[in-house]
Amino acid sequence: MSAVLQEVLTRARKLIGQWESEDCGVLAVKEFCRYAAALNDLDYIRTARAQEAAGEPVVAPALFLAGTLSWEDGPAENELRPDGLAARESPCTDGLPVRQVHGGQSVRPVRSPVSGMRVTAARSLVSADHRHGRSGEFVLLGVTTRFTSQDGAELMAVDETIVVLDGVPDAATDEPTGVTAA
Amino acid sequence: MTTVTPVAGQLCAPRTYSHSRVQLFRFSAVSWNSHRIHYDAEYAALEGFPDAVVQSTLHGETLSRYALEWAGPGAALESVSWRNRATAVAGERLTWSATVRTVEPCDEGTRVTLDVAVHKDDGAPCVTGHVGLTWRAARTSPSAGSSPAPATS
Repeated sequence: MSAVLQEVLTRARKLIGQWESEDCGVLAVKEFCRYAAALNDLDYIRTARAQEAAGEPVVAPALFLAGTLSWEDGPAENELRPDGLAARESPCTDGLPVRQVHGGQSVRPVRSPVSGMRVTAARSLVSADHRHGRSGEFVLLGVTTRFTSQDGAELMAVDETIVVLDGVPDAATDEPTGVTAA
Repeated sequence: MTTVTPVAGQLCAPRTYSHSRVQLFRFSAVSWNSHRIHYDAEYAALEGFPDAVVQSTLHGETLSRYALEWAGPGAALESVSWRNRATAVAGERLTWSATVRTVEPCDEGTRVTLDVAVHKDDGAPCVTGHVGLTWRAARTSPSAGSSPAPATS
């Protein structure tokens, strides 16, 4: 195994089982509608706005919580990795020359999130394995996220895998456009 | 309106589509996904991709939304899972397909599990997975009164 992937694996195994909670904020109809617009779902927007105008709660698009990669406000651009990911979305790889792709996801909606609801995401690394595939060796990280409402009710359970590959393209080590080096 | 209940092995009508670069950018924006492979084609090329890469979570949306459209009114998403097998990029012609795996009664009415996939134009699987749906008890046939038409396998 490459030294870089060995380092990823070592870091990951120290984190397995540690849970971090993240405040996703209070869900807003605007967020739901913009998400739906990106999916060209105008029917959702019409219905949601009508419900909002009638003073009714608006249910989020079914995969809104799972589809959102990050709930943090986000770092400044010069703190992103060369591939654009923030440290939060790239567990165990800070400062390492790696590439990442999403391996897959399993989503189980439990209760519909609605506008006005404050949501918390609890996230943990649950597995880290060294694998070989068509494109060579990689580390497969397993991440679990549980979304809950402010009353503690479970809204959604998400299990996903992240594929970490050794190496970044040469040009990607340049500063992203528009970034002033710190 | 027919009252046919889906049966295991039934094929759902396939859907063909593509994601534009603009859609990939907008989906990255609303999902707060700054990974450059999804909206920066020049950067994506550095990682060996021919164009901006379709987000995994956008595949998940496609898998479940076409399943719900096939099912028609009254259907609800119970679960979706998928595995990414090959990269899809902006402008690439993709086909969603599904086969009914199981049909069983449940508290909500009927539970149906679909084997779902997204294939590339050359037939290679891009994403494969499962979608679980439930219908209220008094439901009619999948896709009754909605598009697309029900499968007739």
